Formats: sequence, structure tokens, C-alpha cells
Amino acid sequence: MNVLRNIHFPPPIDGLLRSLSEVGFFDRSLLIGSWVMPLYQELYGAPYVLRTLDVDFAVHLAHPHARMRADLERIITDLGFVDYVAVEGVRKFTAGGYEVEFIAHRPGGKEIGAIAIREWNINALPLPFIGILIDFSETAVLDTYTIRIPIPEAFFLHKLIVAPRRLTIPKREKDLDQCATLAPVLDDKRLQRVTRSRRFGKETRRHIAESCAKIEFPIQRLSFD
Amino acid sequence: MKVAEKDRVVSGLLEEEYRRCQDVLVSLSDKAAHYPKGSLHVRKKPYKGKEYAYHCLVARDQGRVVNRHIREAEIHELRQQLEQREKYRKEIQAYKKRIAYLEKLLQTPGQRRKPGG
Repeated sequence: MNVLRNIHFPPPIDGLLRSLSEVGFFDRSLLIGSWVMPLYQELYGAPYVLRTLDVDFAVHLAHPHARMRADLERIITDLGFVDYVAVEGVRKFTAGGYEVEFIAHRPGGKEIGAIAIREWNINALPLPFIGILIDFSETAVLDTYTIRIPIPEAFFLHKLIVAPRRLTIPKREKDLDQCATLAPVLDDKRLQRVTRSRRFGKETRRHIAESCAKIEFPIQRLSFD
Repeated sequence: MKVAEKDRVVSGLLEEEYRRCQDVLVSLSDKAAHYPKGSLHVRKKPYKGKEYAYHCLVARDQGRVVNRHIREAEIHELRQQLEQREKYRKEIQAYKKRIAYLEKLLQTPGQRRKPGG
């Protein structure tokens, strides 16, 4: 188990992660986005200092009729966050400038609106390829609580795929910058296990190749069939 | 003068953050508008030798100060709504401050220079 004693999240984020951990959110769901990078720095020695103010979580979707395990909306607002509905119809939370958002895996290519998640009384933005992160995760113990994060190989592959799909150049560059930071610490066997877990379409493979070329990462290391 | 090369990732992040702050500000303002504004006061009125107290919501409406009588049963809910609005107001202030800061940071050198300066 990875015990991280030198990770110090800002108080609103620390309180949020602790509360989510206490209600079992990280049993199957995970922290994603740029806030995972400081954990990779501590765990794998991949140095990355930039992080955004949005805190994203990938939510594992249980059975649609699963009973409510915890009322995250209440828990998060009790921590001092206020909620609002963003343009996409997704309920987000904010405090001290930090923005909390939940994201779920979207199977298939058709765009759908926000998904209500009864298990946690929240709604989530469905996005493709989030399943890669959820299926390949690990736990990290922070001082007194445990959280779940994607393994760096899954995070890396996910970023390779989504970077060319980004609508804005800064986001694309940030994705690739994170990939370039992670590239030296990746384990080829784990990377190939992640790659082979999915059958990617032509366009996705083209996106992966495009991203690899941009960060000068040998695509052979992904070992596509 | 030595000029630092612009870091595209960092400046891109700042631009993204600026856009995000603006979007959040709009959403927060929309949400805050659903809550009543003003502050809850107790008014005392003497009547036939006795003093009666009642609650009223004092708020500005188009430049005028308006007092609205609040029924006893509504007070608890109204207090909660006013607290909520205050939370949103604080968050809105934080975002406005951040937007102002980012606007300064994102100004191009040409824009920053005063005309004739």
C-alpha cells in the first residue's frame, strides 16, 4: 500500500477527500484530473507543479436502482461548498475558488446529458473513455484516510486519447504536458495491459498516434494488436 | 531588458482558468438570484400600552428601502435562505476578485502600457 505522508492538499480539498473517503466513495470511484499529479510525483517521482482549481472525480456507476449509500450533495455543502448547475446541466460545487465535478463513463459515441447517480445523490457528466481510469486504479493512503486514483499508465493513455479531442488548445497542451511528465515513469507491462483492455476504433488510434508523436513517445511501447 | 519567454502551457492554463471563472460566476449569480435578499430585523411597535415585536425583511429594491413583514412560521426558512445567499455572495466575490487578477495577468504588454507613457 502506498502511504503518502508528504502530500498536503489545500484545506478545502483535504476536507473533501477525507469526507468522501469516510463514506466509502473511494471503494470504487476515484480522484482524477490534475490533482492526481502531486500523488504521482510522490509515488513515482514524476515532477509536475501545475494544477487547476477544478477537482474532478470519476464515479463508478452501480446498478441504476442501487440504494443511496451517502448523500454527497449534503456532505459537500456541509463542508462549506455551494452548488450550482453548470451549462451542461451538471451540478457542480465550489468553495474558495475550487470547483468540484463528478464524471461518469459514457459508453458509445452518442452525447447524453448529465446522469443522476442515486447511490451518491449527485449527477455526473458522462464522458467517453472514463472507464479506462476506473478499471485501472490503485489506492493511496494519505495520512489518515485512503483515496483511489488511476494508475499512471491508465491516466497516460486516457490523456493521449482525449488531448486531440479537446476543443481548446490550452487544455490539449496541458494534457500532453502531463503525458510527457509521466512518460519516463511508466511501466511497459502495465501500459500494455491497459491498452489491450480495450478495442479502439480507427479514429481513437489516430488520436493516440497523434498525441504520441507530439510528445515523442514511441507508440510501439503501447503494443497495439 | 531581458524578457522571459512565454510558457504556453502556463499561459494556456491561465486563459482556461479565466474562462472557467467567468462561467462559474454566471452560474453562481443565477443561483443566488433565487434566494431572497436583504436582512432580517425585529421591529417593535407600541400599541395600547403594550409593545409588540415582529420580524421584517429589509431590502433595497430599485434604490428604495423596502420592509416586508415576515410571518413567524416563515422565519426559520427565510433565515436559512438568507444564509445561503450570503454563502453565494462570498463565493461570487471570490470569483470576481480572481477574474480581476487574471485580467491583469493576461493583459498583453501593449495593453498594459499607458498611452503616451
